[in-house]
Amino acid sequence: MSAFNHEVIFCIVNTGFSETVMEAAKDAGARGGTILNARGTANKEAESFFHIAIQPEKEIVMILVDSKIKDAVLHALYQKAGLDTMGRGIAFSLPVEDVVGLTPWKAVDMDGKTIKMPIFKKPSETTEETK
Amino acid sequence: MAEIKKSSIARRLYGRSNGRSRVSMNRLKILVTVVNRPKADFYMDHIQSFGVNMQMVVFGHGTAPREIATAMGLADSERAVIFSVIGENNLRAALDSLDEKFNTIAGGKGIAYTIPMSSIIGKSIFNFLSDNRDAVRRNEA
Repeated sequence: MSAFNHEVIFCIVNTGFSETVMEAAKDAGARGGTILNARGTANKEAESFFHIAIQPEKEIVMILVDSKIKDAVLHALYQKAGLDTMGRGIAFSLPVEDVVGLTPWKAVDMDGKTIKMPIFKKPSETTEETK
Repeated sequence: MAEIKKSSIARRLYGRSNGRSRVSMNRLKILVTVVNRPKADFYMDHIQSFGVNMQMVVFGHGTAPREIATAMGLADSERAVIFSVIGENNLRAALDSLDEKFNTIAGGKGIAYTIPMSSIIGKSIFNFLSDNRDAVRRNEA
């Protein structure tokens, strides 16, 4: 059983943007995810009032991350696949307990060197440093 | 008097002052299990043996990079996500057994985690989800 705290991040995006989500998440330190197909619903009356069309086909990307990098991943998703982008993504996280089956981080790059897990600092820590 | 009544209603609705729910017996959790698609039925049957009465399976696909995926024994990217409602009493045994299965079964690698459920409404639903057969027998008697 994992000794570390984990969070599961759900990111709901328009179909076809799950790769954007995974690229952003991996840049922020996530390892992998699971993509589920889904259908979204919207208020039809509000849609016609605001003259916007909500694409009903969605993809839900489920990413299990260490809670240390959760903020970094959520920030990355907000910037790369948020509501202001074509992906129209919504991301949120849930705390999870009792994680089993997760292999320890040990990735090997092209040269055969082990890639170390990236260390991310919280925004509050970075601002203190800049001060 | 009105104050007392109000506070007792609030306590009934929102739980005791320690912030925990009034129901402390066998709290429910959602067990999420991500496995290879061909192994979904096997894991669902296995989880069912731990007093789980309701499960949902959703098919998806994985995104782990090739080198990590093959190292983990996940050659195929088609996955099944199993959501099971499980009582806390059976959780430890289920997770230990899943962990063992993940490490021993060929092509059976996967991950599992739990999400706590904060509320549920309906006594019969709670009894069904927590496999509380005694309560049903008592009602019928």
